[in-house]
Amino acid sequence: MTTRARVLVIEDDDTLRETLAEVLVDEGHDVRVAAHGAQALEVIGDWQPEIVLLDLMMPVMDAYEFRERQRQLGAALDAKVVILSAARDIAAAASRLEADDWIAKPFGVLEVLDAVDRHLPAAS
Amino acid sequence: MRYGSCTGPPRTRLELNRGGRRPLNAEGPPASRSRESLPSEQAGQLRGELGFHLLVEAVQDYAIFLLSTEGKVLTWNIGAQRIKGYAADEIIGQHFSRFYTDEDRAADRPGRLLGLARKHGRVEDEGWRVRSDGSRFWADVVVTALRDAGGATYGYVKITRDLTERRASEEQHRNLVAERRAREAAEEALKARDRFLSIASHELKTPVAALQLAADNLVRARGRGRLDDERLGRGLERIVSSTERLGVLVNELLDVSRLTSGSSTIERRPTDVVAVLGEVIGRFAEAVGERRIRLEAPATAVIDGDPSRLDQVFTNLLDNALKYSDPSETVEVAVADDEGGVRISVADRGIGLDEQALDGRFEAFTRGDNVAHVQGLGLGLFISHRIVERHDGRIEGGLRGDGPGSIFRVWLPRPAS
Repeated sequence: MTTRARVLVIEDDDTLRETLAEVLVDEGHDVRVAAHGAQALEVIGDWQPEIVLLDLMMPVMDAYEFRERQRQLGAALDAKVVILSAARDIAAAASRLEADDWIAKPFGVLEVLDAVDRHLPAAS
Repeated sequence: MRYGSCTGPPRTRLELNRGGRRPLNAEGPPASRSRESLPSEQAGQLRGELGFHLLVEAVQDYAIFLLSTEGKVLTWNIGAQRIKGYAADEIIGQHFSRFYTDEDRAADRPGRLLGLARKHGRVEDEGWRVRSDGSRFWADVVVTALRDAGGATYGYVKITRDLTERRASEEQHRNLVAERRAREAAEEALKARDRFLSIASHELKTPVAALQLAADNLVRARGRGRLDDERLGRGLERIVSSTERLGVLVNELLDVSRLTSGSSTIERRPTDVVAVLGEVIGRFAEAVGERRIRLEAPATAVIDGDPSRLDQVFTNLLDNALKYSDPSETVEVAVADDEGGVRISVADRGIGLDEQALDGRFEAFTRGDNVAHVQGLGLGLFISHRIVERHDGRIEGGLRGDGPGSIFRVWLPRPAS
């Protein structure tokens, strides 16, 4: 099993997004970021993330619309999706979004790393 | 002239003293008769004067009686006895003003009613009346003038109904309705507060998450010996920035709470919005440069408002406009006269916030559980909406229409002069 993955962080809070990126880069992952769904679709482009950390509520394009567009475009459909949210019904939301996992805000470094570890792509 | 005998308990039959005729049951023809048709003599009786006598006599729920032109009681019926308590021989010949309360008599209500009936033909009245035992009842009264061929009034027909029970039940009904409304309002307020708490906790969690992760990250990096000065600096900056955001958010939440509960005071006085805008724009210009904001306004535009609260609204709108548009784009602020008030608009060329998302923002804590959360805007829009509402103004926002971007319009009334 590889211990590095291509991780896309989609989170509109600047500080949280940057810190998440730093945490993941520290672990050796290949990280790209986006502030909302529309940006994320641009970033995906040719770069296929293996894991996507997805905030629920973002301006411009929220998680629901992003997943919709993602399906339409067939963009990185194999990526594992982990929802990050402060919502009370995050589990239900994750299920509606056909996500693979979720982490409730606020969370610590280990929770994030564990979530990513759980969904690392199998060794090829 | 008397109609029948009204002493004793009300009877449902009238016994005709006519040589052994079968008594007529007031509820229908004699039981022993077939139902085909009444014999012509009885039919004649029903149609004639006696018929009216029977009719009036049979009615228990209405007091129906005649008054002379002076207002003296000429006739009485069972209904009158039931409702007013007097027996026929007690009341006939008395003036009908004895049915009225002392206050009504002092104000000559009885006389005025007769006058109105004389003048208009009939008069309706509702009010307290007094029974023979002194107790009061709520009456519905119709007085009709009897006129001769020449048009002169020769007497009155008075019909009175006891509405006391109905009035009591109406009042009870009103009380129940009021109680239910109060309960619904309280429930709605509780729900609104729950939504507020839910949204508040939700809003707080992201900056807390940013704060927690930044601190946790520093601790972890230090534990692994990877905390160089640059990293420390970055981490601390993130902590500071998140803490500041939390502070702002907490204040906004308190503001929302106070504005919603009505406990925050808004002191309105004649205020020049152009001056207020000037100050707000000046502050932003220091941070983002003068060229980013363009103001088109008359020299002054006075409305009835609280300057510091209006400052808050304009600051919020400008902040959003700047945040969501490119640094190269200009934000346009305009002030104009509009229907007894002043319209202030803030337009940007940014990503454009659609109305659905905005509607959710405006109504955050008052309607529905489905708030379209536009993070980054915080609660500013909701607060602005509340403030404008308290100014008896209107605020709306949406896509610009003429190209990309959003426009927000605030309408505020001029002072009443």
